[in-house]
Amino acid sequence: MDWTAVRLGRRGAVAVVAAAALGMSACSSSSGTSSTSAAAGGGLPATINVVSINPQTGPAAFAGLAANKGYDLAIKEINDSKFLGSTTLTLSKVDTKGDIKTAASSASTAIADKNVSAIFGSVSSQEAIAMSPLVQQAGLPTIYTQAGSDGVVVGDATYRATPLMRTYYSLVKKYVQEKGWKSVGIIHTAAAPTLVDIGTKALPAIATELGMTVTTTVAVQGTTQDFAAPISQVLASKPDGVAILLVGAQNPTAMKQLRQAGYTGDVLGNSGASAGNLKPAGADGAGMVWPVDFNFQQKAEASQKFVKAYQAANSGENPLNYAAEAYDAAWFLAKSIKAAGSADRAKIKTAMATVASEKFDGALGNGLTWKDRDIVVPGVMIRWDGTGDVLLYEGSAS
Amino acid sequence: MLQDLLGALGLASIYLLFALGMSLTWGTIDILNFSHGSIFMFSAFTAHLLIPYVPMGFVGVALVCIVVGALMSLLVQVVAFEQIIKRARNRNTAERQILIGGIGVAIIPLAIAQEVTKSNPFGFIDSGFEVTTWTFMGLRGTNILLITLTAAAALAVGTAMWLRRSRHGLALRSIGVDSEVSAMMGVDRRRLAIVTMAVSGGLAGLAACLFTYTLGAITPESGDTLLIKAFACIILGGVGSTGGVVLGSVLLAVTETVVLTRTSGLWVEAVAFGLIFLVLLVKPSGLFGRKEVRRT
Repeated sequence: MDWTAVRLGRRGAVAVVAAAALGMSACSSSSGTSSTSAAAGGGLPATINVVSINPQTGPAAFAGLAANKGYDLAIKEINDSKFLGSTTLTLSKVDTKGDIKTAASSASTAIADKNVSAIFGSVSSQEAIAMSPLVQQAGLPTIYTQAGSDGVVVGDATYRATPLMRTYYSLVKKYVQEKGWKSVGIIHTAAAPTLVDIGTKALPAIATELGMTVTTTVAVQGTTQDFAAPISQVLASKPDGVAILLVGAQNPTAMKQLRQAGYTGDVLGNSGASAGNLKPAGADGAGMVWPVDFNFQQKAEASQKFVKAYQAANSGENPLNYAAEAYDAAWFLAKSIKAAGSADRAKIKTAMATVASEKFDGALGNGLTWKDRDIVVPGVMIRWDGTGDVLLYEGSAS
Repeated sequence: MLQDLLGALGLASIYLLFALGMSLTWGTIDILNFSHGSIFMFSAFTAHLLIPYVPMGFVGVALVCIVVGALMSLLVQVVAFEQIIKRARNRNTAERQILIGGIGVAIIPLAIAQEVTKSNPFGFIDSGFEVTTWTFMGLRGTNILLITLTAAAALAVGTAMWLRRSRHGLALRSIGVDSEVSAMMGVDRRRLAIVTMAVSGGLAGLAACLFTYTLGAITPESGDTLLIKAFACIILGGVGSTGGVVLGSVLLAVTETVVLTRTSGLWVEAVAFGLIFLVLLVKPSGLFGRKEVRRT
């Protein structure tokens, strides 16, 4: 899911101009680690360097910071369990500050540093799109989380440990059937390609499959903050149910205004409503349901093992999907390094293809697979009850 | 149709409350304050932080927002803009530097709020005030909508009267026409500038309070979006005209609502800003813009 494309857009021209004026340029804290050579060829060295290039400040920091917690936990487990024998994985973190240029230059720095064996790419699509051509050309193994746009997974060096939303959005079928909806009105943001895809293709296709009609579809800009008009248009078409496919802060506002407009039914949403984003809507937020790739309540054994380890490492905090995805990404890399038996980038890249062909259990659930270098997960269906997430049901592994 | 019109008027009121403060400083003391959006956001953010510790209802939240907005704006004037004006070689240089200075200042509260909230939405969910819905002759609205409409109308009229009728207003308008001559006539520009900036910040704070209650939540970046809209409202109506800002806000909000309710929604900004462009082609000074009377 591409949150940052929207959030950066909402900063507006002012912040962009200011950022340019202040010359928010490259941050290069990644390359200072002393290390064994990543390009040494056979055998695992004592230390293997990995860099996380993610926003730790700025609009997408919520996702970047959570992802880094997932990387930290996985790498600690990998090192503590001596998964790679006496070899230690060392993670450096670079803050992109939500700046595309910084992300690209940090990727270039990592590419130039032969001690870096792989990187964890940015959660931001805009940043990831700038990084991908560089790392692919250099053959530097890169695993992204989030960053749902096209142009991120561009070749054999690039993987994405976040499933494309359309691969698990069909989980809503069961819910819609139970509700007996015969029609649905859709409001979607035009600023996130993933949600445009769901609003204009995936959800209409599901509706057709279930014999439902789409009464109307309204697109809104990423900068839209008041949804009274689009809600009025959708409700005027008298749908049985409403789908709100918006990002971050737009969700509580749309839910509040939907209730104020007199709609009392449930609302199909997306994972942009998760991570407590609906809290500001209070009781008006209750009744939004959405499929997501991970929720801390999901029952798979591997998921619960991750949840407990994460809570222990983070003062009881429940993990978000960003952390779970990052956790699986780090383990995927560790397995690839082990299979390669080397810190050499080319060998790791080759091993990644092999590891990706096998099913595995991870934080995101059981029976996880990779398709076209994107992870595929069963997913879970969530309902917000006004104060927290309620797990409705889980998908099954394909 | 009437429901959409009511919604459009609500949106126009928010645009107006936000733009009124900007228009006031731009049209009188020649300060186009690009930190207005950050001041707006940070005043609501401060109230959001205080609510868990200091229980307060609507009036309390509004007061916190207004006071924080006024203080921040005053601080920006004293610490940044006054220093720029003192050091600038001429008026044009000062205007440019104030513009850039405002953008620079705006980043500080933005960064603080982003750091604290991790750019997640925040609101006044735990305040004692509850947004309730009413229905009247088929029209639906909320109590906060009525407050917003009333506040916007009252403040627009009040600001216009203040500028037109009071000695302060006359002095301010004289600065807007020619600051040097007004100084020779005994107008204390510095003091009036501080008062004007504080009033402008207070208006931003009030707008932030009403906007946050209306939407349920805002983000650290919400002020930036409104800044562009307010800029458009002022340009459309004419810099220095309170009536112009009112008209600009209503026109922009109504146009956006019509486009949003009659099309797929993607054309809203293209049509709204295209309309503004057309108006400016015909009347470059804006609909109610005053004639340029500066002398060389």
